[in-house]
Amino acid sequence: MVDIMDRIDPGADNAVESERPLPPRLEVTPTGHDSATEFDALPSKLSVRDLDFFYGKQQALFDNHLEVKEHRVTAIIGPSGCGKSTHLRCYNRIYELYRDQKATGEVMLDGRNILASGTDLLSLRRRVGMIFQKPSPFPMTVFDNIAYGLRMHFKLSRSELSERVEDALKRGALWEEVKDKLKEPGLALSGGQQQRLCIARAIAAEPELILMDEPCSAIDPVGTAKIEELVSELKSSYTIALVTHNMQQAARVSDYTAFFFEGRIIEFGATSQIFENPAQKQTEDYITGRFG
Amino acid sequence: MSATAPAAGRPPLQARSVFRRRLVNTAITSSAWLAAAIGIFVMGWIVYTVFTRGIGAWNLAFFTQLPPVGNDPGGGLANCIIGTLVITFGAAIVGLPLGFFGAIYLSEFGRAGRVATGIRAVTNIVLGVPSIIAGMFAYALLVLPRHHFSGFSASVALAFIMLPVMTRTAEDILNLVPNELRESALAMGAPRWKATLGVVVKAARGGLITGAILAVVRVAGETAPLLFTALSSQYWMGGLKGYFGGPTPNLTKTIFDLSQQPYSHLVQLAWGGALLIIVAVLGVNVVTRLLFQRGKEW
Repeated sequence: MVDIMDRIDPGADNAVESERPLPPRLEVTPTGHDSATEFDALPSKLSVRDLDFFYGKQQALFDNHLEVKEHRVTAIIGPSGCGKSTHLRCYNRIYELYRDQKATGEVMLDGRNILASGTDLLSLRRRVGMIFQKPSPFPMTVFDNIAYGLRMHFKLSRSELSERVEDALKRGALWEEVKDKLKEPGLALSGGQQQRLCIARAIAAEPELILMDEPCSAIDPVGTAKIEELVSELKSSYTIALVTHNMQQAARVSDYTAFFFEGRIIEFGATSQIFENPAQKQTEDYITGRFG
Repeated sequence: MSATAPAAGRPPLQARSVFRRRLVNTAITSSAWLAAAIGIFVMGWIVYTVFTRGIGAWNLAFFTQLPPVGNDPGGGLANCIIGTLVITFGAAIVGLPLGFFGAIYLSEFGRAGRVATGIRAVTNIVLGVPSIIAGMFAYALLVLPRHHFSGFSASVALAFIMLPVMTRTAEDILNLVPNELRESALAMGAPRWKATLGVVVKAARGGLITGAILAVVRVAGETAPLLFTALSSQYWMGGLKGYFGGPTPNLTKTIFDLSQQPYSHLVQLAWGGALLIIVAVLGVNVVTRLLFQRGKEW
């Protein structure tokens, strides 16, 4: 019997306690095109403080601090197994599906700690949508895929429902391609279309924050370009946190970038600063392809 | 080129014999083919024998009349056909839902936990228990205390055999559903039961239905568990009263009884019954697999 835990591995085995000296506590005041004052002036949608994460007894995240600014794209980069996905999975507590995974610290969404025990997970996840690495359309029609969250969270008449489905598909840049295929199974679409279907499905439920966990790693370059374009459009209405191992992607779409290494946030700042003038040696090594 | 260019300072590599590799390849491939051919040949032989001997028994009377009394000519197995259908259906009503929800517990909730591991171990043991033990179990549970045989007790015995088959098959199928689908449903804010039934089970539905039908077919041809439970009967089942209250006619036990008779027309009737079971099981298998092949999406 394959243990369910073996089938996902968001880097459980790679996060080992590092022996190298820790970088100084982060100054969350990035410099770059977005000046430090501008960063401070922007409201944070989500603030991470003292976040530690454990797979059983093994610690995977160490003392993470991060600010996800409203209506901005925050990219999380780093080598495989550095804890990027693990970190993102704390934002909607999806890790709780697996019994021995545990997060401690604070993840403040609009000032309230979602890691606190009283949090209603269903409404939290309505507010925080998530897109996964592999497109995962539900085994139902295109229409029902989009309507899934709407039906679950809102009382809607049939005509309102169709309107909102159409609207979500338009915002997901998929409407033109699927308007004649609404009754076809979501799985019949191409991989890139499936991923945009998942994005449309997430935004249909009116989330405030959208988490994307390597959304393009299973998608061909054309599909990737469409999704990146979509991400740039969506940030006017939503806040986006994006995990990617594609540094060019982070550079193209994000406003802020956090570099993760061995469960720690080595550097966080404006994307232009991280890529053009990193403060930490490890960041520079990674960006320039010397490891990872 | 038989040898790679020697690296500086090392002796040249000696290539392995291509002839030997080809020989081993041919030997292993042909033994696989041979084993498959023998298996298929034996199966074909059984089906062929049952078909040629049994097809002669198939006529209108076979499907509409009671078995002959004594060594009278004619007669059929109509009561047994109905009885077997009812007993199997009864077993399915009990066994399939239990197996299905058991599988959901194991794959979605219990997973690697201690309780689930225990259930899985017990299920594996029950899976290997000879079917006659299931018959004795139902006998002790339902026949002895009530002092009479019944079709219902046979259903319980068959359900007992069906339960682990269904549980294991359904769990395996549910395990094929990728975790990202579970996470996606939960990430949409779906409660756990809704994500499970509305998305995970739905994704696996083709395989689950196939598994359920195969579990039913698996017990439809059982004989041993019926010996102490349904027994058999020369007469019509007599509605639900007969099913719950007395020996219930069924194909397998009747085939066994008829095959012991010294009269060739009775033996032929037994062959006809055997053919019916084979055709039904084969037919259901083939049709299910054809219908639900699309269930392999995951």
